[in-house]
Amino acid sequence: MEQQHMTGQESLRLISEMIHKAKNSYHDSGLGPLLWGTVITICSLVTWSQIHFSFSLPFDIWLLTVIAIVPQMIIVQKEKKVRKVRRYDETMMDYVWTCFGISIALLVFININIISKLNPVFEKYIEVTGGRPEYTFSSFMTSFFLLLYGIPTIITGGSQKLKPMLWGGVLCWVCCVISVYTKAEADMLLTALSAVCAWLIPGIILRKKYLKSAPANV
Amino acid sequence: MFKELDPILHSQLRLAVMSLLISVKEAEFVFLKEKTNSTAGNLSVQINKLKESGYIDVVKQFKDNYPQTICKVTPKGVDAFELYVKALQSYMNPSSNK
Repeated sequence: MEQQHMTGQESLRLISEMIHKAKNSYHDSGLGPLLWGTVITICSLVTWSQIHFSFSLPFDIWLLTVIAIVPQMIIVQKEKKVRKVRRYDETMMDYVWTCFGISIALLVFININIISKLNPVFEKYIEVTGGRPEYTFSSFMTSFFLLLYGIPTIITGGSQKLKPMLWGGVLCWVCCVISVYTKAEADMLLTALSAVCAWLIPGIILRKKYLKSAPANV
Repeated sequence: MFKELDPILHSQLRLAVMSLLISVKEAEFVFLKEKTNSTAGNLSVQINKLKESGYIDVVKQFKDNYPQTICKVTPKGVDAFELYVKALQSYMNPSSNK
């Protein structure tokens, strides 16, 4: 770009051209939503199978979500390395998803404590009535998770103007309401549906966009 | 009465750099070079002028053993850019100056 005298119109054209270039210079790689969409879908469907076909794995399948943190960290570090520009909303998004991760960890911690405190009550119930209660606390746990899934998904989808993710987040909340009235088995299918719509499908869309515009992702 | 155009911004490459930086939080020198299709030497000179005017902050550091220059628009730069655009608009629509 040479230094030359510009008219007012040329200046305005240059400004809008550069703003447009900056706006289109970065696309999400989609790897994060793809990873978490896949992991949560697998965990939910395996849990559903365990309930439906009455078998149990020698380990808790949800431990996959802890293991998935490792590739997630690698993805974040790799993206940081190749990124040559940082948007204003990236810091906010980092905070939103970090808060979400911490909230999920806290919810797991709270749930474990509630279950350990309520278990003796249920045991007493079974002892007195001779039958199992129709609903236990664990049958409502999914509702809390789906409630949390919806929050960062809607914020990200809305702020990034990514409609499939926005609607996926809304679906998480719809499934949250439904899961209040359904049992654990159906709850797992609702979780899988939410993960597919909120993260897996938007992740595929983002990945396709990213690969299509690969040279622009400087 | 027409507003005077800021001579620091009324230069093609400096205006291009400011327009890019105003849209993002921060950008690397390489990014600015690619988007403005300028030479490293010319860009470096113009970036220095913007820095001396207090319109941008320039941070030089090392990333994976390679030098990295990060540019970021300052609040003074944002104000100057806004004033420049307003002045341009007043040239385009002289009736708005009455």
